[in-house]
Amino acid sequence: MSDTTQGIDPLAAYANFKPAIAPEKPARGKRVLHLIRSQPLGAISAFVLLIMVLAATFAPYLAPFDPTTGDPTALYQPPNAKYWLGTDAFGRDILSRLIYGARISLIIGFGASILGVVVGTIIGVTSGYLGGWLDSIAQRLMDAMLAFPMLLLALAMAAVLGSSVQNVIIALAMPIVPRAARIARASTLVLKTTTFIEASRAIGCSNLRIIVVHILPNTFAPLLVIATAYLGLAIVQEAALDYLGAGIQEPQPSWGLMMSGSATSLALTAPWIVLVPGLAITVVVLASNLLGDAIRDVLDPKLQRNI
Amino acid sequence: MLGYIIQRLATGVVTLFGVALIVFLIMRVIPGDAAVMMSGAGSGVVSEAELAQVRARLGIDRPLVVQFADWASHVAVFDLGTSLRTGSPVIEDIARRFPYTLQIVVLAMVLAIGIGVPAGVVSSWFAGSWIDRSLQTFTIIGLAAPSFWVGLMMIIGLVYFFNWSAPLFWEPFWTSPLKSMSQLIWPAIAVGLRQLALIARMTRSIMREVLNEDYIRTARAKGLSETRVVFRHALWNGALPIITLIGFEIAALFGGLIITETVFSVPGLGQYVVQSILDRDYPAAQGIVLMLAGIVVLGNLVVDLLYGLLDPRTRVQGARA
Amino acid sequence: MSANDMTKKLPINRRAVLKAGASGLAAATMLPTVSWSQTKSPKSGGTLLLSHGGDPPTLDMHQSATYLTEFVASPCYSTLLRIDPTDINKLIPDLAEKYEVSPDGKTVTFNLVKGVEFHNGMPLTADDVVFSLDRIRKPPAGIVSPRKGLLGGVKDVVAKDAHTVVVNLIAPQADFPFQVANPYNVIVPRKVVEPLDTAGTGMKRTIMGTGAFKLSQAVDGQIYELVRNEKYFGQKAYVDKIQMFPIRGEVERASALQSGRIHGSFFFASEAVLDGLRKTPNITALRRPTPTFINLIPNLKVKPFDDIRVREALSLAIDRSAFIQTVGPLAGAFYHSTGLLLPGSDYNLGMDEIKKYSGFDTMPEGGGNIEANRKRAMELLEQAGVPKGFKMSLLARSDIPAFRDSSINLAAQLKTIGIEATVDIRDAGAFYTAETTGQFQVVAHSIAISGSLPDQILGEGYTSFGGRNYGGWKDDAIDAAFRAQSAELDPAKRKELIKDFQRMFLKTYFHINLAWVGYGAAHSNSLKGWNALPDLYANMQMDRVWLDT
Repeated sequence: MSDTTQGIDPLAAYANFKPAIAPEKPARGKRVLHLIRSQPLGAISAFVLLIMVLAATFAPYLAPFDPTTGDPTALYQPPNAKYWLGTDAFGRDILSRLIYGARISLIIGFGASILGVVVGTIIGVTSGYLGGWLDSIAQRLMDAMLAFPMLLLALAMAAVLGSSVQNVIIALAMPIVPRAARIARASTLVLKTTTFIEASRAIGCSNLRIIVVHILPNTFAPLLVIATAYLGLAIVQEAALDYLGAGIQEPQPSWGLMMSGSATSLALTAPWIVLVPGLAITVVVLASNLLGDAIRDVLDPKLQRNI
Repeated sequence: MLGYIIQRLATGVVTLFGVALIVFLIMRVIPGDAAVMMSGAGSGVVSEAELAQVRARLGIDRPLVVQFADWASHVAVFDLGTSLRTGSPVIEDIARRFPYTLQIVVLAMVLAIGIGVPAGVVSSWFAGSWIDRSLQTFTIIGLAAPSFWVGLMMIIGLVYFFNWSAPLFWEPFWTSPLKSMSQLIWPAIAVGLRQLALIARMTRSIMREVLNEDYIRTARAKGLSETRVVFRHALWNGALPIITLIGFEIAALFGGLIITETVFSVPGLGQYVVQSILDRDYPAAQGIVLMLAGIVVLGNLVVDLLYGLLDPRTRVQGARA
Repeated sequence: MSANDMTKKLPINRRAVLKAGASGLAAATMLPTVSWSQTKSPKSGGTLLLSHGGDPPTLDMHQSATYLTEFVASPCYSTLLRIDPTDINKLIPDLAEKYEVSPDGKTVTFNLVKGVEFHNGMPLTADDVVFSLDRIRKPPAGIVSPRKGLLGGVKDVVAKDAHTVVVNLIAPQADFPFQVANPYNVIVPRKVVEPLDTAGTGMKRTIMGTGAFKLSQAVDGQIYELVRNEKYFGQKAYVDKIQMFPIRGEVERASALQSGRIHGSFFFASEAVLDGLRKTPNITALRRPTPTFINLIPNLKVKPFDDIRVREALSLAIDRSAFIQTVGPLAGAFYHSTGLLLPGSDYNLGMDEIKKYSGFDTMPEGGGNIEANRKRAMELLEQAGVPKGFKMSLLARSDIPAFRDSSINLAAQLKTIGIEATVDIRDAGAFYTAETTGQFQVVAHSIAISGSLPDQILGEGYTSFGGRNYGGWKDDAIDAAFRAQSAELDPAKRKELIKDFQRMFLKTYFHINLAWVGYGAAHSNSLKGWNALPDLYANMQMDRVWLDT
């Protein structure tokens, strides 16, 4: 099922994952072109994400208005020539907030998924490689975190840490950690028994060296797929935290905030206020899902048959 | 098989103990004092002496280890304590709110399976056609759209086009099943859309794969009708992964409902647990998180057992593991 | 109503409201006279459907300070005296058919109505009154009483006989009868409540009163239902039943009202929502000023806020008109007062005098110059040795967007005097803990006082022993001035003493008053007999309300 896009919990699909030990590499020159041709959806998704990243980066140059100060004479404007996407309850331009909001939403999305996957990988690889009681404890801990409802874990962590961009990233990375750890551990367990790891051990390589040089590079492919899938998830969860009042705070524009709080108090009569940021989130999640699929197909064609 | 079940149950209990420990610690680490919240928060300064009395009454002035042991020993006999906020036993609060949540989950899953599986079959049948393409587009968007946003947009649409408004009183299932279902169908759709999309895509892929297998070709060669081939042979053989997915997704649904219930103001468990965390209602928050985790653990167990029943190979492996 | 209507009409309406709020007197004219002056005779029967903004955190009136509790429980209780439903400055009898103040003003005797029964059939005695007043002023261990200060002037309460209660005061107190008429200070039965208090739960889940209604069910998150008390000692209530639904969202509540599924909702903050209701036919929507004010409170225990120059600079930095304009429509903070008392109160200092205090001239019609104020603020900060770009955090609460947004507006205003103010937004649990235990630098708090008299507002809000002294200041002279005005029985002299108190307090900048709040109320025109008083909590007994169907 090469085209199955992973949603909230990509873990289920990777339960039977077998790592690719030596992905073959075609000649470098034609690779990019070949990739685009073989994975058109993936290429488009990558392009969409790139556009979003660029828009976020150059927000001050692109946004027509200031995202935080509104025009008190232009509240609840429907989309028009001046305000392309309308204005909210404070008369703030929704397009400008969308562009600036991309900054925070993407920073949090990338930040949380990378942090979660990195920490999860370290835990998974170490515990899988070393084994023993350390592995058992780590596994039970990861099981417990997995059984925790994702949003509640993030909500509780946000309450512990307080709300700032860094803290929301940490809070949202928490639920990703056990999921990444499981996959990294599974790959490590398979790799551990392969002859070339045993050979490295025989010639006296240190554990650290074996992990860094031999195991980590080989767990890279599935983890990249996971990281891409969780990028979208983290953005959705960030919006959910904002909706519950526990995420990023006004006046910073984030897509989640644009859908919550007093700015949306009249969403029933001015639906564009919540329509636009939700669409933006959907597009990013869609793109990150499709990109994840494409990366998976490219890096490991065998995987598609394993689900 | 029995040994396997016992072993899995034991692991489940250990996992739940871990959850209990984590949720207990998190609730105590969150800045904010249950005693302050219990003392008419927002109504003025409360002296340290008064707070100390309230803490003593709640038993939260004891060492953490003692508190945890006390709580865990009560939980072991299914006593979740008394909610600080509502003042009634947490079990009672759950018993009143859980039916709403469960009902949404069941409705959502019925919709997801009832529409998702046929949609997947149709999609695979007409693979490559416009029907397939539009279904594929719909499901891939369904997977990407945040469920609470879908809920918000649904409310706006319902109000705008059908002059709908959120119910004042959510009818319990046992007093008026039909009315209750008609009220809860909207949150069920909002939260179940994702599951529907997931199941439809999964079904399609599996059907595509199975329909190419040798025995299906044999069945076709024997002259069996296409309907019979699809439903009797292909779908039956592809059922296992779909059931697995459903098992995981039911557990995920309970977690996903937390925010959808807030959007629709359904008086279910989701709203209750969010409010409990905000109010530092330790017994309630801890109890519900533990219960939701229990559902996940149980869901995984059931999926494993089903696997064992339906697929003899796994049972042997499982028994050995 | 289409979005276009909204955009066209909203600003105009807001301006109209602002204008109305600008002069204290105009605020009073906003109250409707329609529903009270109707000529039809009241009808009995029907179920009154109401909705308020959420579940009461407790049903114990003595332990609560939120309208969520008061709106549900008030119809079930009686107080010794009751605020006149037509005039907030008058009292009418309730459980006490009459009361008498001794010539020296230090003894107040209440004569109770005979034959009054609690909802469980127990007779009300003077001992229950003694128990209730003592529970409020000296709560037992583990019970927290936010209004103990209201009865702080009481020396003791004695039951002279089964139907006579004598209250001895430490000093004469003109406002005392109003303190016992506070809608929260209800009379509860000793026999029922004392064991609950000993058990530590209090009346969290219990309502046991002598009021016109009794509680028939309370389902958290779903419904609170009251039925008429057929054995009520006064005139029986008109409606058979009251059902109240906790709907958090204002928009949802408004739409329930518009679609006729509820008869009324007495708590709206957002002007946009209220304005939509105002335009709906057959709905009366109004905003009533209430003793709730937004104050900026510096923590005196944290440097540099112990320095008066820094506090004065904070006051100078805030453009009050701009604050009201931005926050008004969200939180209902449309009003301002020319003193520390309710907008329009005779006790206030008046514009000419209050605008002499730093920053108050930026109130609407104050004629101040905010640029000059901010320049002066920066000079003061420099004198106090506060470096430019000084980092400061403003504690705010995350779950009520209007509160969050007011703090954001204030932080932006403070930046203009070179203070790098960040808003530290915490959820309710963390916010209240930080505020109550003094773990903050500056907080902007919407302070809701359960009464509008000088003893209530000044006592709770502006004394060092009052419940709202979050900043931890101490000033014996101010406390003495409070006691002096409280004990003065001559109205003219008292007025002067109250003004002196305000002059004394305003120059300390312990609290920096920014705006006053008015809450919206809306009801269908079939709901009759309810009169909005300029106090959120007053006249919520619902016994005179009837349905014209």
